[in-house]
Amino acid sequence: MSTAPQSNSQSVNPYSSQDAAERAELSQIDASIRSSALFFTVSAIFWLLAGTVFALIAAYKAHEPSFMGDSALTTFGRMRSAHLNAMALGWGNNIIFAVGLWIMARLCRSPIRHGGMLTIAGIFWNLGLTLGIAGIIKGDITSVEWLEIPHYATPLLAISYALIGVWGIVAFKFRKGEHVYVSQWYILAALFWFPWLYVIAQIMIIWFPARGVVQSVTNWWFAHNVLGLWLTPMALATAYYLIPKVLGRPIYSYYLSVLGFWALAIFYNWAGVHHLIGGPIPVWLISAGIVASVMMVIPVIVVGLNHHMSVVGLHKEVWRSPTLRFTVFGAISYTLVSLIGSAMAVRTVNEVTHFTHFTVGHAHHGVYAFFSMIMFGGVYYMMPRLLKREWPSATLIKLHFWGSAIGITVMVVALQIGGWIQGVEMNNSEIPFLEIVQNTMPWLKARTVSGVFLTVAHIAFAVNFFWMLFAAGAIRAKQGPTLLDSTSEEGAA
Amino acid sequence: MDVDSYTDLMPIILLGVVFFISAIAMLYWSSKRGQLRNFDDQAKTIFTKEEPEGEISDSFPSKY
Amino acid sequence: MKNLPLLFCGIFFALAFSFTGLVLSSNIQIGSLTQTTETEDENGNPMEGETLYPLMASGLAQQGKQVYIEMGCIYCHTQQVRRDGFGGDTGRNWGPRQTVARDYITQDRVLLGTMRTGPDLMHVGGRPLNADWHHLHLYNPQITSPGSNMAPFPFLYETRKIEGAPAANALKFPPNSEFSPEAGYEVVPTRRAEALVEYMLSLKLDYSLPEAQIVE
Repeated sequence: MSTAPQSNSQSVNPYSSQDAAERAELSQIDASIRSSALFFTVSAIFWLLAGTVFALIAAYKAHEPSFMGDSALTTFGRMRSAHLNAMALGWGNNIIFAVGLWIMARLCRSPIRHGGMLTIAGIFWNLGLTLGIAGIIKGDITSVEWLEIPHYATPLLAISYALIGVWGIVAFKFRKGEHVYVSQWYILAALFWFPWLYVIAQIMIIWFPARGVVQSVTNWWFAHNVLGLWLTPMALATAYYLIPKVLGRPIYSYYLSVLGFWALAIFYNWAGVHHLIGGPIPVWLISAGIVASVMMVIPVIVVGLNHHMSVVGLHKEVWRSPTLRFTVFGAISYTLVSLIGSAMAVRTVNEVTHFTHFTVGHAHHGVYAFFSMIMFGGVYYMMPRLLKREWPSATLIKLHFWGSAIGITVMVVALQIGGWIQGVEMNNSEIPFLEIVQNTMPWLKARTVSGVFLTVAHIAFAVNFFWMLFAAGAIRAKQGPTLLDSTSEEGAA
Repeated sequence: MDVDSYTDLMPIILLGVVFFISAIAMLYWSSKRGQLRNFDDQAKTIFTKEEPEGEISDSFPSKY
Repeated sequence: MKNLPLLFCGIFFALAFSFTGLVLSSNIQIGSLTQTTETEDENGNPMEGETLYPLMASGLAQQGKQVYIEMGCIYCHTQQVRRDGFGGDTGRNWGPRQTVARDYITQDRVLLGTMRTGPDLMHVGGRPLNADWHHLHLYNPQITSPGSNMAPFPFLYETRKIEGAPAANALKFPPNSEFSPEAGYEVVPTRRAEALVEYMLSLKLDYSLPEAQIVE
């Protein structure tokens, strides 16, 4: 890094005895969490690949309906639901357990306790998920969105999650040091919120179903909060850690991060009913959800401003860091997808976009362009520090980045243009329904093409990862636990 | 279908008021207790001697 | 903010507030809804001797709903009609009026749906589509709706040799259809297909409610 600003601390020689105690601590922490973080990352990548396969099948069926149409096992509804659960609970949750808990451990400045328990809970999580997704495909799908997994698998998921969540809270309780960082609040809050959401939703919809559309209100309070109170805080925690960490420059305004956190906590909760605009529920509930969805602009702008000002002047360094290519892409997407989401909650916009592919595009904008891209960045940062090795291939990293960036952009644009047209036409009763279906076809085909880009990206990621994990002649770090070789050439794509 | 009368919403309105007041109270309490000072130091906790402030800590690998 | 109990309070309250406001309050409001007659008397009570709506579904239709759930139909079809003037639902003959909360109180699993890859089905039983049409459409949507992107469901049907006279419920293909079975064979619905079609036919929004009257 010939152009990096020189530090004036003793870090020029990482082996100086004064630093020994604290240096050992950081690598000690990394070492203590290594096995569970690796377990979760490997699981996450398997589910990412499985979820990608389900996605390709579902996407292709959407415009070639007879594809794999001979068996009940592969109906669109089942394939789509297998995809959603594999990605949300398989890729999403596992990668959060890997990266999010690693960040929490590092910031709590204490080698983790009971790491074995974490791995065991993780094994049960993945067993439960495998059982659940097999159940969906077999036909025991509940047809409740985001809760498709049949009842025989969900208690296993709830219990293993509880163990993992408690672990995170205990780690926070026994933290060392005076100060608490914004990422820790987000991770703590998310770890607390998720199990409550999950258990309440399971009880009120599946186990002791509530009356009529109370199920629907509960469903969308739950499902939207999985996005807003679980995936979002975890991704924000990761971005808040990685952006200043890689750049060597503290976050622009810690005060703004406090404001952003509480504004998110208060407003995001209420936004979920925007999935039911125009639906058979009390109008005041819908209005409350719309207000909250629009108020979300506040924390979104706050976070966006904070991240933007933190990278200002250092754009070249962002581009040269694999981690930040992904993470800053994700952070920018957060601002964009949230502003679009607030707009979609406004009744006049919703009248067009509701029930269309526009919403599907929006959902992928959030879970992929925002959440997943940030987490990819997290993996690129974390793995060298866990394994004390460099990533084997810069080319595969670039292939991953461009495949993902192009793929998700094509997907979101195609689905939102196609979805907008679909919505406008659907509101015009002169236009026959089959004609509307035909008009969506080119956009759905573009979505399949985008899926191919994403598949290539995910394969590049997986290959690079397993190469790093298993290669015998792994490239060892040249100096100290902070690993990426400072004399390596700049990566310039 | 909407509420028959807004008195139906009284429990939730009351809870909202309680919530709002306790939020203000907690904010006041935190500010008195010094929780909201020293933000700059809190922002720097991510840096350590190994990965200090002022140094870029990520780059592309050198091979392939 | 460094204090765990303080953080915990704030985090807990944020969730409790929305849970109470959205979930509990709707449970209170909607939980007290009961079936009622199309109009009520001046005290807000059901009229004596008139039918109570919404109706409870018949046994076969309930079984058909289970098939609907197992096939994942909800992921392309909704069951809710938006009010006149907000979207074009009533204009498309998807229902003579908007749906309200009371329409769903007799359902053990509510299937509102969020995607309209296919049309809304809340009132599909009230549209001029009979059982024969539904069976052909399910067996292969291209028969009744060329260009549709709905998948075929051949596994809900059985193709078998005709023995003696053709079965009464054999599918009646259009003449010279490329989807007809070969000569001497017929396509017969399985019990699951019969149930599913019965469920489709039971989905009718042909009654008013005090809070949602059908306007001719």
